[in-house]
Amino acid sequence: MSIEVRNLRKAFGNFVALDNVDLDVPGGELVALLGPSGSGKTTLLRIIAGLEPADQGMIRFEGEDATDQPVRERQVGFVFQHYALFRHMSVFENIAFGLRVRPRAVRPSDAEIKDTVMNLLRLVQLEALGNRRPSELSGGQRQRVALARALAVKPKVLLLDEPFGALDAKVRKELRRWLRRLHEEVHVTSVFVTHDQEEALEVSDRVVIMNEGRVEQSGTPEEVYENPATPFVYSFLGDVNLFHGRIDRGLVKVGGSELEAPEWAEARDQAGVAYVRTYDVELTPSASGKSSIEATVRHIRAFGPVVRLELDRTEDGSSIEAHIPRAQHEQLGLTKGQRVFVSPTSVRVFARPSDPGTARSA
Amino acid sequence: MRHKSRTVLPGFGLSLGITCTYLGLLVLLPLATVFAKSAELTGSAFWAAVTDPRVMASYRVTFGASFVAALINTVFGLLVAWVLVRYRFPGRRLLDAIVDLPFALPTAVAGIALTTLYVPNGWVGGYLEPLGIKVSYTWLGITVALIFIGLPFVVRTVQPVLDDLEVEVEEAAASLGARRWQTFTRVVLPTVAPALLTGFALAFARAIGEYGSVVFISGNMPMKTEIVPLLIITKLEQYDYAGATAVALVMLLVSFALLLTINLLQWAARRRMAV
Amino acid sequence: MATIAISRPATTAPRAVTRATGESRAVRYTLIGIALVFLALVLLLPLVLVFVQAFAKGLPAYWEAIREPDALSAAKLTLLIAAIAVPANLVFGVAAAWCISKFEFRGKNLLITLIDLPFAVSPVISGMIFVLLFGAHGWFGDWLFEHDIRIIFALPGMVLATTFVTAPFIARELIPLMQEQGSEEEEAAIVLGASGWQTFFRVTLPNIKWGLLYGLILCNARAMGEFGAVSVVSGHIRGETNTLPLHVEILYNEYAFAASFAVASVLTLLALVTLTLKTLVEWQQRRAMAEAADTDSPSERIAA
Repeated sequence: MSIEVRNLRKAFGNFVALDNVDLDVPGGELVALLGPSGSGKTTLLRIIAGLEPADQGMIRFEGEDATDQPVRERQVGFVFQHYALFRHMSVFENIAFGLRVRPRAVRPSDAEIKDTVMNLLRLVQLEALGNRRPSELSGGQRQRVALARALAVKPKVLLLDEPFGALDAKVRKELRRWLRRLHEEVHVTSVFVTHDQEEALEVSDRVVIMNEGRVEQSGTPEEVYENPATPFVYSFLGDVNLFHGRIDRGLVKVGGSELEAPEWAEARDQAGVAYVRTYDVELTPSASGKSSIEATVRHIRAFGPVVRLELDRTEDGSSIEAHIPRAQHEQLGLTKGQRVFVSPTSVRVFARPSDPGTARSA
Repeated sequence: MRHKSRTVLPGFGLSLGITCTYLGLLVLLPLATVFAKSAELTGSAFWAAVTDPRVMASYRVTFGASFVAALINTVFGLLVAWVLVRYRFPGRRLLDAIVDLPFALPTAVAGIALTTLYVPNGWVGGYLEPLGIKVSYTWLGITVALIFIGLPFVVRTVQPVLDDLEVEVEEAAASLGARRWQTFTRVVLPTVAPALLTGFALAFARAIGEYGSVVFISGNMPMKTEIVPLLIITKLEQYDYAGATAVALVMLLVSFALLLTINLLQWAARRRMAV
Repeated sequence: MATIAISRPATTAPRAVTRATGESRAVRYTLIGIALVFLALVLLLPLVLVFVQAFAKGLPAYWEAIREPDALSAAKLTLLIAAIAVPANLVFGVAAAWCISKFEFRGKNLLITLIDLPFAVSPVISGMIFVLLFGAHGWFGDWLFEHDIRIIFALPGMVLATTFVTAPFIARELIPLMQEQGSEEEEAAIVLGASGWQTFFRVTLPNIKWGLLYGLILCNARAMGEFGAVSVVSGHIRGETNTLPLHVEILYNEYAFAASFAVASVLTLLALVTLTLKTLVEWQQRRAMAEAADTDSPSERIAA
């Protein structure tokens, strides 16, 4: 079932949580709502679920207006960050709940309920735990029960609110992969909220990045990563270095160096910021052209395949972070305190907020 | 009691000493007299004393009225706690504070106030009289007084549990298709049930020993509206110490059993809720 | 552990149950209505009645009833008994809370249950046991008679009975409080060189002050209002062994209703003051806890 959100607005007192938000979720897709705390993503999810009313705007499920429909009737499955399992019921009863509360006329028989629940337990790989209480399960297991419970009523839409937020890193990674596999098996339109960009990019078909109640960008993980539309998206996804400078005729003057910015060919002396990913840099012992920026090595973290270097820019003392492959690091043989030159290999330039500029982002 | 004190913090011996001496002299020693005095009676004399018809009638009155009152308090106490926790309305804070009135008000004051309220020409009694309902000097009056006494126990035991209910659990139930009533009976009620049971037990325990609030409205007719505490006093005034002690022993045993049950209930509830 | 609840702090703002999952307006209003009617009938009516009846014969009669010599001596006796019982229980409560919350020892749970005992005992029995102990036919009856000491039907007996009945209040308030607070601060003080008493007064006492005050208020209210237990040991000797509650009873039984309610109104005012103080202390407690939560480090918060 597809979801359409149009012109959604929601405020809590003076705080505007959602400011004219539009969203399209095609049927069967797994969409991530990604953003920092306060960006409005959870509010949006809860409004789609019907747990929160919108001040203005419309929600459509498969073309039909559902804005005023009570949550009970929307046929959405909701998975909470802290599971919200019924503590006094067994795992089996938790999953069966949605089936047991159906009106008499459409309630499945006990045998049918048992069937459905056992199938779901198998699906979430918890067959042996039907009789346990939630308090006897680990966090990861509880979340899987919560998922099974939501799926039991065959929802048209599955909504997950930071489903792995309360779990440790390792369990989170496992469940992430597991969710993806589940989605491929079950194919329910799913929307999940997260502040973890790795999670969003890894799991979803489409990422919607939100900030301060607005949608910054919406696209496939590759799209938003390679072609970030706004500075916010750029710095939110992946580690990034910022260089402030002036844009003039296709070049950005950063201190004494010059970086290429062909899309700004028309610009005339504007304030701008050059965004450089931490791994989009080349380190050389001596200056190699106009784009080299001088720096000193402050700290080296050399564990794992990628070596992380913290550098102090000579000109203004600001921090530059460089991630280079281990082989390259060994070749360079850099040590603490050594002077080194940083050349960005891929640069994205945005105008300073006060200065809109002429170039438009892709 | 053997002890294993922490060597860093001082005062163990002193504090434990004060506590045990105080408890021993003020609480345990006096209570022991009940057991000792009862032991003076032979088995059959004891049995005769505690099963005497008038005594049995007083058991019926006390336990019966206490049970009904505690039951009513459980239902309405839950309602009051729910309304105080979930809803906003003018005067809510004031009412919340007033719920503790039975704790703070001397029982004698409650007793005379309730009696005056329910006599045939009283504010409430005046309305009930034409309907043929007599409250004062009847079993009904005793129950009314015990409802007054026991209400805060239920409300204050249930309130924190209702307060701690996660909203998400009710939202989950709603998202799964449950109607409000279903959510209440299948999700909220089972969670509150242990607290309700504890509140009931507390109200009941308090009610069976209650004297001051009941003795004015009950009329104290032997075999009909005589409560056990009054019977004990009557026996004392007649110097029937043996009889008074025997009945008191029965009451003590029931009270201790209740105390134990309540402790167990609360301990079990804490274990169930520990996630 | 803590059993019969004295009274737990009232809740603050209602939970934010979203409109999406709350009851319909009609249900809400009906429930509020029923609750209000029930509370008015059960609690408010008797309260109002006390004052109405107290002034039924006019203001002069009211003053007369209160200033009558027997009433005044009853008031003095009530205050005197409370002045002895409450501090005694304060010492006991603090001592019990200290050894229970700061140390581990066998029999601790038994001790906690024993402290609750007076709560489980009917007031009448609470008085009776002292009659059995110190009355004419009691264990010490002969010895007391020989030494011409009167305990029953005299002040000492009433003090004992009142102290018995109110013994658990302060202890039960302090024990969970001090258990929750742990011993770290006290240990830190000792390590820094403070003596036991210094530690108690400078470290422990400030932390427990609101709980202590709360227990004191409740203990005092009960001590002044106790009826059943005192009734059994007092002998009802007017002007000598009557407390205010007993005086109320005597007046009522003599059909001096207005006077009886006049004295009762004084006790009721005391109850209302108790409730007000209690509410204020609860506010302070909650504020203190909220502030403590803010200044705690995250790891402390998790550990708490």
